[in-house]
Amino acid sequence: MVDTALTRPSRAQAPPPPPRARRARAGQGIAYLFLSPWIAGAALLTIGPMAASLYLSFTDYNLFDPPEWVGLDNYTTMVTGDQRFWHAAGVTTRYVLLSVPLKLGLALAVALLLNRSRRGVGLYRSAFYAPSLLGASVSVALVWRAMFSTGGTVDEALSALGLDLGGWVDQPQYALYTLVALAAWQFGAPMVIFLAGLKQVPRELHEAAAIDGAGPLRRFTAITVPMLTPVILFNLVLEVINAFQAFTGAFVVSSGRGGPSDSTLLYPLYLYQRGFTDFRMGYASAMAWVLLAVVAVITALVFRSARRWVFYAGEEGR
Amino acid sequence: MPRLARRAGVPLTAALLLSAALAGCGGGASDDGSVTLRFVWWGNEDRAKVTNQAVEEFQRRNPGIKVETEYSGYDAYFQKLSTQVAGGAGPDLLQLDRATVGEYAGRGVLADLTEHVGGHIKTDDIPDTLLAGGEVGGKQHAIPAGQTTQMLVFDPAPFTAAGATVPSAPGEKWTWAQFAEAVNKVGAAGSVAGTTDFGWAVDWFEVWLHQNGEALYTGDGKLGFDAAKLTEYWTMVSALRPGKGATAPEVTTKMDGSVQNSGMVTKQSASEIGYDSSLTGYFTSYGPTVRTAPLPSDTAESGMAALPPVLFGVSQRSKHKDAAAKLLDFLVNDPDAGKVLGASRGVPPNSEVREQVCGAAVDATKLVCDHESAQEDKIGPSFGPWPTGSAAVKRDFQRTYDDVIFNRVGIAEAAERVVRDAEQALGS
Repeated sequence: MVDTALTRPSRAQAPPPPPRARRARAGQGIAYLFLSPWIAGAALLTIGPMAASLYLSFTDYNLFDPPEWVGLDNYTTMVTGDQRFWHAAGVTTRYVLLSVPLKLGLALAVALLLNRSRRGVGLYRSAFYAPSLLGASVSVALVWRAMFSTGGTVDEALSALGLDLGGWVDQPQYALYTLVALAAWQFGAPMVIFLAGLKQVPRELHEAAAIDGAGPLRRFTAITVPMLTPVILFNLVLEVINAFQAFTGAFVVSSGRGGPSDSTLLYPLYLYQRGFTDFRMGYASAMAWVLLAVVAVITALVFRSARRWVFYAGEEGR
Repeated sequence: MPRLARRAGVPLTAALLLSAALAGCGGGASDDGSVTLRFVWWGNEDRAKVTNQAVEEFQRRNPGIKVETEYSGYDAYFQKLSTQVAGGAGPDLLQLDRATVGEYAGRGVLADLTEHVGGHIKTDDIPDTLLAGGEVGGKQHAIPAGQTTQMLVFDPAPFTAAGATVPSAPGEKWTWAQFAEAVNKVGAAGSVAGTTDFGWAVDWFEVWLHQNGEALYTGDGKLGFDAAKLTEYWTMVSALRPGKGATAPEVTTKMDGSVQNSGMVTKQSASEIGYDSSLTGYFTSYGPTVRTAPLPSDTAESGMAALPPVLFGVSQRSKHKDAAAKLLDFLVNDPDAGKVLGASRGVPPNSEVREQVCGAAVDATKLVCDHESAQEDKIGPSFGPWPTGSAAVKRDFQRTYDDVIFNRVGIAEAAERVVRDAEQALGS
């Protein structure tokens, strides 16, 4: 090391890399080698298809014939001439607005319950987390459909209580709520993150507040929630993005049709229909890019708003 | 050496993976000269069982040809098929229906079978009216896998209990008003609706149009009806709902043309309009008490037609078109195949095979044969294949009818929307 310091070249000369850097570069080579499968995968399976889909979004492509360049036609048709596009966008907005707060609320509530050391708490944590592992699967969506259809468990239970609504999945005014319930039921992932966040809340703060006479509710709103805001932000962003992409549940519950009467026609489902049942891949690609843009804008807005309500420990009050 | 191994490792692995992937795309002739065909269809378990039996017999007779089969439900079938075809991994022999044969032939997916006809594929005993169902643009793109016609399938018990009569003897017919009276009686009497609401399927509207001297599509693939006609038809069907003559919207919205999801098999109606090729399904899923009747008509025309329920086509990209044509011919024309397949895709298209199958028929197959022969003099020629874009028309038709039954839109406005959407779908 001393040696290097003595012979360090002036800036004007072409600097031969010091051994440390050379070693680092060699290390980089190995790193790249190990990364190469991932890089190849990203290029082949992510960037390539994305570029292809961007290109296709400017074409008329029916899967069988070669794509035909149509410029912005797909985008203009979507915005000006496609009622179902706007309908699907509306259904998705409702779905996001209903399912995300419900899911996060449930996740936080259960995380609070499970944030105590009791006997068997590990079991409960696993039990509440399990639906998240199963949730995206087709089989659960099938069970959901059976439960909420006419004569299903939920219908029977509600009838027993005197609420004769019929099956939810078969009626346009209720069908979307089945999907919202399916999403909310999978609160396990945000719950685990909330739990981790709750563990970070310093116990001294609670103790100090308790000594000052703050009740549990006050301690929750004045200490727990502010300390948890970074975690809330994280979960919110993640869940909003997820909710915009919700597909499996709607696809299975409505047999791929988005029915009854288009009431469960989530945006990704309509995209899928355009691509795979109407053979309009170009149009579907354009829809995908619009979705990407909208989700990006909404995520940016959420991050922006975060300045007003997210509190990072170590920051002084502003 | 370790250095070399490390350097060579990545490309080597990549090459291995690539070759494995390419091999996976396989199919094709293997070293011993044998040929592997992929044959796909949609349908229920019954159809799968007999089809696989027939395929086994074919393989036994043609040791050089190996057949891989695959089947699924209707929707899943076409979603998978279109993706596979687009990716260049389509099957060699595939099943199509009237809505898709025009679609796939028009898009160049199907091989022109004209050159095989008379060679590998014999069509001498298949009626021309039926063959016309596989003719797109003047060329034979698919061969009918059977013959079917429309029917009203019903359970006599609830009708008798309600004091309603159904004309099921050969030669008998009824009007739409008589039909409405009968199903309304059943609806008023029992716990089930008289019939499954049939306004959702463009197929039955097509029959009604033919009864009135019109058609769903013109000869050159344009829309053959206007919004006024559809309004008239949907108004007639909708009049059945209030009296429980037809099923409630929650039931109707679930219809997808499959027997297992139908209103009758799920015990929510006492009858429904269908194709007689589905009778085997009703027989096993509903029970052997089912009977058939002709569709009602207010004119001299029954509107019923001899249609190919499904057709077989050979993929344009298949490397083994001859072998695929051979398998197709076997399924359609071979007496042994006919014996095994029975009426699982309607009565056999080959008239000799049909005679033989119907002569020995029992149970469900007998029902199909009986319906075909009872209606024989009323069944008109095939309506021909539907044009490119008709699959979208069929879907839009059902979706819009959903809006009608849930009172989200008026019938006249809905009919106009169907016409507008259809003109767009057919134009593209």
